[in-house]
Amino acid sequence: MTDLWPQLSLLLPRVARPVRYINHEYGAVHRYDTDDPTDASFCMVYPDTYELGQANQAIRILVNAVNATEGMWAERAFLPDPEFADLMREEGLPLFSLESCAPLSEFTCVGITLPHELAATNVLETLDLAGIPLRASERGEAEPFVMAGGPCTYNPEPYAPFFDCMCIGEGEEAMPETVACIRDGRRAGKSRQEILVDLARIPGTYVPSLYEPVENPAEVGAMVRPIHEAAPAVVHKRVWEGFAESSGWEPCIVPFADLVHDRLNVEILRGCARGCRFCQAGMTYRPVRERSAENIVQSVLTGLKETGYDEVSLTSLSTTDHSQIEQILSRLGTELSGTGIRVSIPSQRLDSFGVGMAKLVAGEKRSGLTFAPEAGTQRLRDVINKNVTEDDLFNAIEAAFKAGWRRCKLYFMIGLPTETDEDVKGIASLVQRAYDCAREVTPPDQRGRIQIGASCALFVPKAQTPFQWCGQIPPEEALRRVNLLRNSVKYKQVRINWHDPATSFVEALMSRGGRECADLLQGAWERGSRFDAWTEHFREDAWRESAAACGLDVDAAAQRSFELREVLPWQHISCGVSLGYLRAEYRRALEGQTTPDCTFESCTGCGLCQDLNTDIYIQEARS
Amino acid sequence: MSPLQNTEKLYAILQAPRKNQPQDSFRLRVCFAKRGRAVMLSHLEVAHALERAVRRAGLPYAITQGFSPHMKIAFGAALPVGIGGERELFDVFLTSYIPPEEAHLALRDASVPDLFIVSCEYIERSAPAASNAYPVSLYEARIDGQLEGPLMPPPFITVVRKGKEKVLQVPDYLVAGPKVEGDSIQFALLARQEGSMRPDALLNAMLEGESNIRVRSLTRIHQLSDPYALPF
Repeated sequence: MTDLWPQLSLLLPRVARPVRYINHEYGAVHRYDTDDPTDASFCMVYPDTYELGQANQAIRILVNAVNATEGMWAERAFLPDPEFADLMREEGLPLFSLESCAPLSEFTCVGITLPHELAATNVLETLDLAGIPLRASERGEAEPFVMAGGPCTYNPEPYAPFFDCMCIGEGEEAMPETVACIRDGRRAGKSRQEILVDLARIPGTYVPSLYEPVENPAEVGAMVRPIHEAAPAVVHKRVWEGFAESSGWEPCIVPFADLVHDRLNVEILRGCARGCRFCQAGMTYRPVRERSAENIVQSVLTGLKETGYDEVSLTSLSTTDHSQIEQILSRLGTELSGTGIRVSIPSQRLDSFGVGMAKLVAGEKRSGLTFAPEAGTQRLRDVINKNVTEDDLFNAIEAAFKAGWRRCKLYFMIGLPTETDEDVKGIASLVQRAYDCAREVTPPDQRGRIQIGASCALFVPKAQTPFQWCGQIPPEEALRRVNLLRNSVKYKQVRINWHDPATSFVEALMSRGGRECADLLQGAWERGSRFDAWTEHFREDAWRESAAACGLDVDAAAQRSFELREVLPWQHISCGVSLGYLRAEYRRALEGQTTPDCTFESCTGCGLCQDLNTDIYIQEARS
Repeated sequence: MSPLQNTEKLYAILQAPRKNQPQDSFRLRVCFAKRGRAVMLSHLEVAHALERAVRRAGLPYAITQGFSPHMKIAFGAALPVGIGGERELFDVFLTSYIPPEEAHLALRDASVPDLFIVSCEYIERSAPAASNAYPVSLYEARIDGQLEGPLMPPPFITVVRKGKEKVLQVPDYLVAGPKVEGDSIQFALLARQEGSMRPDALLNAMLEGESNIRVRSLTRIHQLSDPYALPF
């Protein structure tokens, strides 16, 4: 492979934060020159800068999975910041991998993770900077196979033309299988088209070019249908059955640069069945699987020894739900006592944050706490199936402030289905009463330090959730509700933060759009959109101009509610949770009926375990 | 029942005062090189990488007893991004004695090759901090191309600090050199109470007008306590 380092190293003195591009971190894996030249090379890309991407656990997992498989090897790549991207284009330097500093276009396959809707234009920026044709149909025989994975593949259509294939669900096994399929095809001298057909036969793999749009979706039951017998009518996500039994420690790279989450991550459980009706992760990462306390404690200790980190995070969608969390935290507390090493928990549920937890999680440090009641009234919290009460919040606040915390942030969503002005005012009331509660248990001389704030974001409907049919409220209405909230807050000590809704229509479109959104996306990128998630780079005008050129009314599309019987653009992709269940959940939402968590109570009939022939796996009974 | 009701007593164990808390009795001074691609690291990035190397090496490091406990470690004078160092320093306090050669090997194995551990030795606990003990830095630049004339340091250079322009008198800082020999340019700078002069800023100022010259590397090759100890 071409080594671009000589060219890159001359540019580094001119760029911001060169540490992003130098590679050679502790733990980086390098290929031997003596390895078989027909081995497949795989470059895993996170479509944002190093600081965000290197912290992403999927990158680590998939690079390790490919490197652990005979006959293939993996490298990493990230997007440079926009200024360096421009300099690279001026200087003719294509996007490179870190380990070999090789052009992405020389790899057998390039995998791009799709972490959230606002990374969409960065996918095109990645391909263009790499000199790879944007559309799969334009790629020649020698060019890399471009693959996608990650959360946004649960509605792949806006990205469909840009990818050769997409891996739906968990990639621990699927990714090496996919790379092996391409390698074997190449070794056997197969054409690109023949290899695509082989890929379509791998479970969980969606090859967009083997599908065509249909004119009668209602009869077909999908917006697209296969045009080759190898391609399944519905692609079911992959589940890695080995998760619970596998070690929570696997080799990882210790970066030089300060990352957004710069610490050892040990994934203690996967999946969450609380069933919040707006939450995509809660539907798509099922079933719930726990690793054992013994596994987790040993993984943390090994990981800390191997990496030298001073912080470990016990990651999952809902860490305090682990049936052995108390044992895990207490054992780690004992083992790590006196080392200055901190154990942190990324997300805490209100109903499991009691006095004991308040003391166990933070060790000696009391930085800010974050809770997510999501809605201001019990009625609306029942609609979204959040299953926490005001008392849960007040108990958590009391425990936290008694234990010495002085800062707490509460997350809410504006524009949830059925929301009324009473619900919006309810947020103000709830936050103010939370403040009262904190004040009551804080010594008088420390009350001045109390900070309680609410952060609000606009609801974005997500594919594969019970709220997938619901439209987004118009931006003017969102602003009116936020102003209503602001005016309802009487305490000057309580701060309301509002996430700028300018990007929300893009999120709604990319989340629920069909293939027509691909042209919109490409048009927006061609007009200068990239790094949409970075406020200073978001270009609303580019998106709107592109929409006009495509003849799309983006506001109407974002705000549109689907009929329950309507065929959805992602109906050929299944996360295992049945459409019937999602519909039932939607109806229950409108009636304000809650649904329990199947890991605490009995099966709620989402259909996943039967459909994917799997089961939940918990270490002890949850209570 | 909450799964967390028993945590009160567990917390008590966690928070109990640690008896016979070991003292930070041993001050290990580590000399390392910042070279290769690691020259592109900032001071903070170097510090973090080496702290992690200390933990990986399994050395019995002491921790501070404050609000946010962390490793007792202190770094020598900072090097800017892009500038290497052959004899950089940090001190780490240990709670028990490890033979220096053992500590050296453990640290070398735990660090990346571009942050190369040169040596380890114990020093007095009361010795001056590594960041203050050696105010004189000897730098060497390696250049490609032929110098057109003799290298003259300018009388002053103008730098921008926190958005403000500041004029630094070169004689206040430049205590030796520049000495040119083949592709090497050596000069020594004195760190002052009110701040330091960046070696790359001075080098660029000296090379102004030398359009054929490309600086291949700039490295701090020595840190000294006394300007009279300079080799030239």
